[in-house]
Amino acid sequence: MRPGPGGCCCRRPVRANGCVANGEVRNGYVRSSAAAAAAAAGQIHHVTQNGGLYKRPFNEAFEETPMLVAVLTYVGYGVLTLFGYLRDFLRHWRIEKCHHATERKEQQDFVSLYQDFENFYTRNLYMRIRDNWNRPICSVPGARVDIMERQSHDYNWSFKYTGNIIKGVINMGSYNYLGFARNTGSCQEAAAKVLEEYGVGVCSTRQEIGNLDKHEELEKLVASFLGVEAAMAYGMGFATNSMNIPALVGKGCLILSDELNHASLVLGARLSGATIRIFKHNNMQSLEKLLKDAIVYGQPRTRRPWKKILILVEGIYSMEGSIVRLPEVIALKKKYKAYLYLDEAHSIGALGPTGRGVVDYFGLDPEDVDVMMGTFTKSFGASGGYIGGKKELIDYLRTHSHSAVYATSLSPPVVEQIVTSMKCIMGQDGTTLGKECIQQLAENTRYFRRRLKEMGFIIYGNEDSPVVPLMLYMPAKIGAFGREMLKRNIGVVVVGFPATPIIESRARFCLSAAHTKEILDTALKEIDEVGDLLQLKYSRHRLVPLLDRPFDETTYEETED
Amino acid sequence: MATAAEQWVLVEMVQALYEAPAYHLILEGILILWIIRLLFSKTYKLQERSDLTVKEKEELIEEWQPEPLVPPISKDHPALNYNVVSGPPSHNIVVNGKKCVNFASFNFLGLLDNPRVKAAALASLKKYGVGTCGPRGFYGTFDVHLDLEDRLAKFMKTEEAIIYSYGFATIASAIPAYSKRGDIVFVDRAACFAIQKGLQASRSDIKLFQHNDMADLERLLKEQEMEDQKNPRKARVTRRFIVVEGLYMNTGTICPLPELVKLKYKYKARIFLEESLSFGVLGEHGRGVTEHFGISIDDIDLISANMENSLASIGGFCCGRSFVIDHQRLSGQGYCFSASLPPLLAAAAIEALNIMEENPGIFLVLKEKCARIHKALQGDSISEHLPDVMSTASAAQLANVSLFFIQCMDRSIALTQARYLEKEEKCLPPPSIRVVVTVEQTDEELERAAHTIKEVAQAVLL
Repeated sequence: MRPGPGGCCCRRPVRANGCVANGEVRNGYVRSSAAAAAAAAGQIHHVTQNGGLYKRPFNEAFEETPMLVAVLTYVGYGVLTLFGYLRDFLRHWRIEKCHHATERKEQQDFVSLYQDFENFYTRNLYMRIRDNWNRPICSVPGARVDIMERQSHDYNWSFKYTGNIIKGVINMGSYNYLGFARNTGSCQEAAAKVLEEYGVGVCSTRQEIGNLDKHEELEKLVASFLGVEAAMAYGMGFATNSMNIPALVGKGCLILSDELNHASLVLGARLSGATIRIFKHNNMQSLEKLLKDAIVYGQPRTRRPWKKILILVEGIYSMEGSIVRLPEVIALKKKYKAYLYLDEAHSIGALGPTGRGVVDYFGLDPEDVDVMMGTFTKSFGASGGYIGGKKELIDYLRTHSHSAVYATSLSPPVVEQIVTSMKCIMGQDGTTLGKECIQQLAENTRYFRRRLKEMGFIIYGNEDSPVVPLMLYMPAKIGAFGREMLKRNIGVVVVGFPATPIIESRARFCLSAAHTKEILDTALKEIDEVGDLLQLKYSRHRLVPLLDRPFDETTYEETED
Repeated sequence: MATAAEQWVLVEMVQALYEAPAYHLILEGILILWIIRLLFSKTYKLQERSDLTVKEKEELIEEWQPEPLVPPISKDHPALNYNVVSGPPSHNIVVNGKKCVNFASFNFLGLLDNPRVKAAALASLKKYGVGTCGPRGFYGTFDVHLDLEDRLAKFMKTEEAIIYSYGFATIASAIPAYSKRGDIVFVDRAACFAIQKGLQASRSDIKLFQHNDMADLERLLKEQEMEDQKNPRKARVTRRFIVVEGLYMNTGTICPLPELVKLKYKYKARIFLEESLSFGVLGEHGRGVTEHFGISIDDIDLISANMENSLASIGGFCCGRSFVIDHQRLSGQGYCFSASLPPLLAAAAIEALNIMEENPGIFLVLKEKCARIHKALQGDSISEHLPDVMSTASAAQLANVSLFFIQCMDRSIALTQARYLEKEEKCLPPPSIRVVVTVEQTDEELERAAHTIKEVAQAVLL
C-alpha cells in the first residue's frame, strides 16, 4: 500500500507499552519502510473504511519510552522516596525544623484533617521543585510576559518577593492560541465600553434576573459560529461540564469516557450517577468493544437495556497533545445509536481552517455531534464555557442546567470580549485578522514541532496540535528544565505526577498566533541548549532536516535509527 | 544429620499409619480418590451455554433504541423564557422593556454601578486585558489575585484566603478537598445546592439535621458518639464536619453559631461556614456571622463565601488558617483545573473591599432598611436582620405566579421567584418570592414595594 506523494497512510496503532507508534510516510523521508509496511498490512481491520473517513492525513505519534530512561526514572523516584521517608523521620523527631503549618492547640485531639501518607508526595517531591509552578505574573499574558521574581531561603517552603520583575519572558505556558490576550485593540476597547455601561457584576442567576441582553446576543453568536441551532453560555468552563453532564444523564445511563479525560468531565460523570466505563485513549477498537458489550449485555446484573449511552471525548487532549479521532467516533456513534459529548476546550479556535474547532478540522458536519461543549478561556482570551447543539437540547438545558438556576451569569465585559473576538475570528468585523491568526498558529505549530523533532526530543501528540508535550521522564529534570528555561528568559510549563503517569513527566509548550518566527527561533535555540545540557534528546527516530524540494519518488532518505 | 532427622520423622509417620483407626484411613483414601477424580474430570464451561452468537448480538444491537438525549420541553415551561434585562442590572433596572426598581438582584451594598469600582476594573482591563489564559499553576497567577487574597485574609482577620473564579464552585470544591469517603458530614436540611453538590462529590456519609435545630444536631452527634464507642479504631480515622450557612439562601434565617461552636468542641467536629449571603451584610464591619455573634474567627475551620453578592463581582473565596486553606491549592478541583479569575473582576473586588472598609456605616443602613420592610410586610413569619425576605405561597396558588411577577413589574417593582431544580434538590424548599433589600433603595421605594406586593398578592394569589 504505497501512499501518494505528500500523503500519509492512516496509522494503525501498534501497541507497545501503551504507546502508539506511527507507521508513516512523509514528504522527503520514510520511516523504516519494512517495519511500517508490516505494521500497516498487519491491521487490515477498518483500514480501507478509515481511508475514506479521513479527508486529511492524521499523524499522531507517542514514541516508546527508552528502556534505560524508564529504569533510571524509577530509580530516581525510588531514591526520592527513600529520602522522603528519612526527612519525615527527622521531622517527626524534631531533628529537622518543621516548616509546614500545624493544627491549633485547641483542636489537637480532633481527628486529624489530613492523612500523613496522602501528603507524602506533596511534602517530599513536590515541595522541592515547587518554584516551577504558580509563578506570579504582572502583565498581560501575551507572547511575552513579566514574571515577578521570588526567592526562597528555606527550600521552597515559603517565598519572598524580591521586588524585581523579570521582563519580557517568552511565554510558552499560557493558553493563548489565537493571541487574543491583549490589553490594546478592538476587543479591549469594546470590553471597556461595556464595562462603563454595565459594570462588572451581575448579582443574580440566569433564571432569576441575571439574564442580560448581552447574554442572549452572545448565545446567538456562538450558535452561528459553531454551525448549530442554539447555544448556551456559562460562567466557568470547569463548571459547564460538572453541572451539565448530570443534567443530561442520570442513573440507568452509561457514560463511555476516554482514559485521559479532564477532571471536569470526570467530576461531571461522577456527579450524574450514571455508570462510567473507560476506553483506552483514542482507541476506537476499545470504544467499539465497550459499545457492543453495553448494548448486548445491558446493565450489570439486571440486564435491562441502557437508557442512553453518552460518549465523552475531548477535541485536543492537553496533556498528550493528541486530537480525537472524530470521524471514527462519529461513525461508531451512528452505528450504535449513542450520543456524543465533545469537549473542545483546547481545540475551539485553534484547529480547523476557519477556527471552528475539531469538527471543522476534519471537515465534518456539526450536526453529527450531539453536544458541542467548549470554553472561552483559551482561544478567545476571556473566561467561561458554552454548550451548543439542537434547539431541544438547549431548551432543556435552559430549564434544567444547574448553572442556569444556581450560579451567577457571565460578567458583561467578559461577554463583550468573547463577542468581539468571535466576530474577529469569523471575519465579521471587516478585517482579515482572524484568518491571519489561524494561519499563523497553524504555521507556528508545524514549524515548532518539526524543529523539535529534528533536534531529537521525544514529542507526543498530533502534528497539528498547538499543544506540544516534550518528554522529560526523570523527576530531577522536571525541576531543572523549568529553572534553566527561566534563567534563559523563557517561561515553560512542566508537569509531573499526578497529572501524568508517574514516569512520563513532560514539559508542555502552548503555541500562540502571537509568537513570531523570531520568538520561536529564540525559544528553539534555548531549548536545544538546555536539551544538550540535561541530555533530553532521547528520540531514536531522528528526522533528517526537511529539504525544501518536492517529493521525488526516487529519493528515499533513510532515517537514523 | 539431616538424613537422620528425616528418617526419624519417616519412622514416626509409618508408626502413626499403623496406629491410626481404620475409619480414618478409609476417609483419607476416599478423599484422595475424589481429588484425583476432580483433577481429571472435564471442566464445565458455563459461558458456552449463555454466550450469544454473533448474529444474535447484531440483532440486539439493531433492536436497541435509546431514549432521546433530552426529553421535550413544552413551550410554556415556566423557566424556559428568561426575563431579559436591557442594560445594567442596577438599582433602576429595565426588565422585558419595563423600567422597574430592582428588588431582585443580590446587590446588597449597591456596588454594582459604583464609579470607583468601575474605574478600578477599567484600569485593570487596560493593563491585563480580559482573560488570564491559564490556571493558577501555569502562569495564571496575577499580582492582583495575590493582592485580593491578602486583602480578604486581612479583612476577615484570618491567616490566608484562596480565590476561586466561580462562586458556585467555591464551596463545591472546598468540601470534597477535605471530606472523603468514610467521613461524616452533618449538614442542615436547608443547605443550598452548591453545598449539596460538594457533598455529593465528596462521597462522605451525609447526616441531615432539621433546619437550625441544635437539639436535632446534638441528637445526631450523640448517636455518632455511640457508634464510635463500638468501633474506636474506625472512629480514630473518621473525620467529622458540620456544614452550615451563615445566612440561609433558602429560608433567610441565620444559623445559631454560638451553640454550634459549643457542639464543635464537645463532639470534636470541624465547622465549615458558608457565608455567601452574610459576608458584607451581617456584623458591625460586614465580616459576617462570626462578627455578628462576636465569635473568634479561629473557632471556625473554614469560611467560604462568594463575591457575587455584596462585593458585586464574580468568583468566590475561602478563608481560614493556613493549615486548612493551603491544602486547597493542590486539591481544590475548581482551583487547580480551572482558569483563574479575570484580573478586572479581582480588581473590582479589591476596590469594593476598600469601599466596605471605608464606610462601615452602610451595614447599619442596610439593617435599618431590612427592619423597615419586615415591618411593612408584617404577617409573614421571618426573623430579623435579613436582607431578603421570603413570603411563602402555596403550590395551589402557583398557577398565577408568573402573573404575579408581571403585574409587579407593571407597577415598576422587579421581583423574582426563587428558582430551584425540583428533582435535584434534596429537600425542596417551598416556593417563594425573593425580595432583596439593598442600601440604594429609598424608604419610599421600600414602602411602595411592600404595598405593591400585598396588593398584587391579594389580587392574584389569594
